[in-house]
Amino acid sequence: MRTLRILRRRRALLNCAPINHDHLADRSMRAAVSRENGSEEFVNQQNFDRAVAELVRLLPIPPESAEWFLEKDAVRRPKWTWKRIVLNPAVLAISIALLVIAGVFTFQVLSRLNDFPGSATARKLLSVAGSTRSVMLDPVSSEAGTLSDLFFMKHGLEHYDVPEEFADFRTIGCRVFDDEESRRIAQIWIADKQMQFFLFPAERDIKTGAVLGFPGWRYVRQEGWVGAVTEHNGVCFMAALRGREKDLEPYLSGPKQ
Amino acid sequence: MSDRKQNLPQLYRFCFLMLGDSRKAQEVFNTTLREAAVRAAQGELPREPFWLFREARWRCLEASKTDLQPESLEIEEHDIAPLSASQIRQLEPAQLAIWISAAPDPQRTALALFYLDEFDYLEILDIAELKLSTLSRCLSQGRRQLQAWLDAKHDGAPKV
Repeated sequence: MRTLRILRRRRALLNCAPINHDHLADRSMRAAVSRENGSEEFVNQQNFDRAVAELVRLLPIPPESAEWFLEKDAVRRPKWTWKRIVLNPAVLAISIALLVIAGVFTFQVLSRLNDFPGSATARKLLSVAGSTRSVMLDPVSSEAGTLSDLFFMKHGLEHYDVPEEFADFRTIGCRVFDDEESRRIAQIWIADKQMQFFLFPAERDIKTGAVLGFPGWRYVRQEGWVGAVTEHNGVCFMAALRGREKDLEPYLSGPKQ
Repeated sequence: MSDRKQNLPQLYRFCFLMLGDSRKAQEVFNTTLREAAVRAAQGELPREPFWLFREARWRCLEASKTDLQPESLEIEEHDIAPLSASQIRQLEPAQLAIWISAAPDPQRTALALFYLDEFDYLEILDIAELKLSTLSRCLSQGRRQLQAWLDAKHDGAPKV
């Protein structure tokens, strides 16, 4: 059965055997032709085909059609140049998309570069600072440093201390509230420069419960507000104002990052 | 596109073999090239090889669709004679073209592409969208029918 199939295929190939031996396309055709070369039937076929092909080559070409041969380049695919590649709509669209992705990625990396434990909470609190009005707080007129006793006595909040750098600032109000994760947040409104202070629990290791501290001051930015955050005794303190880091810098001492 | 893939004289001959009429062949040839030039100018020239021939083939089939069609008769077939080459040399090229153009498709396409002596059999299969067995049958029958016609033209040749 297989032999019959092979013989049939060989016959089929021989019927399509090229007139010009330059067109011996593949191995199976070469094998079929070399096997049959010299047989009378195949020689007759080849002579017949050659004669027909010669006759075809003699077909005259009218001068009107021959004009096209001079303009061969008119139907040639234009060569790819860098300019053509760059201006190709698909390449252009992909390039723009890649640029946007790279931009977003860079922005994300840069914005996360200065991340520290508690930075997410600090950013949320900057949003709170932006939306709070002073009338929402309990009026308290004293020095900020003295409020840690109030927080301890009234709300049971330990170590909610305002750092020395900001202890002398005059307050006009304060409040204690729970954020969406039920953490106790202390907010202090300062009379000067619309500055606000926040005190909130520092982040802890999920497994060990140890405080994830960090040295010195760290900056966070959100919606036009800037905050300088430091951690002490498991509590983070943030001084926030609308502006830029340089507006906070004069108040800070110690290492800044 | 390589020169072989856009061998324009061969493209014209292909149209002539398919249509057997110089005026129609010219029309199809010009229309195909005009279309190609427009596409080339727009940078939309298809990447596939031999598309000029494929395009011309469809135009030829379309152009001959409205022509008078030959009756489907049992055409006589003869074995290829050793002296067939000399019989063929006595033909006019146009006579051969008319004979090929009268064949039904896909035999017409197969014969036209094969006798251009431009393509190998794999390329013919690709352009004409045929299977090897069909191409083989078309060519084999075509030779035998052409031989019978040649014998009839030069009567006195042996009949099988």
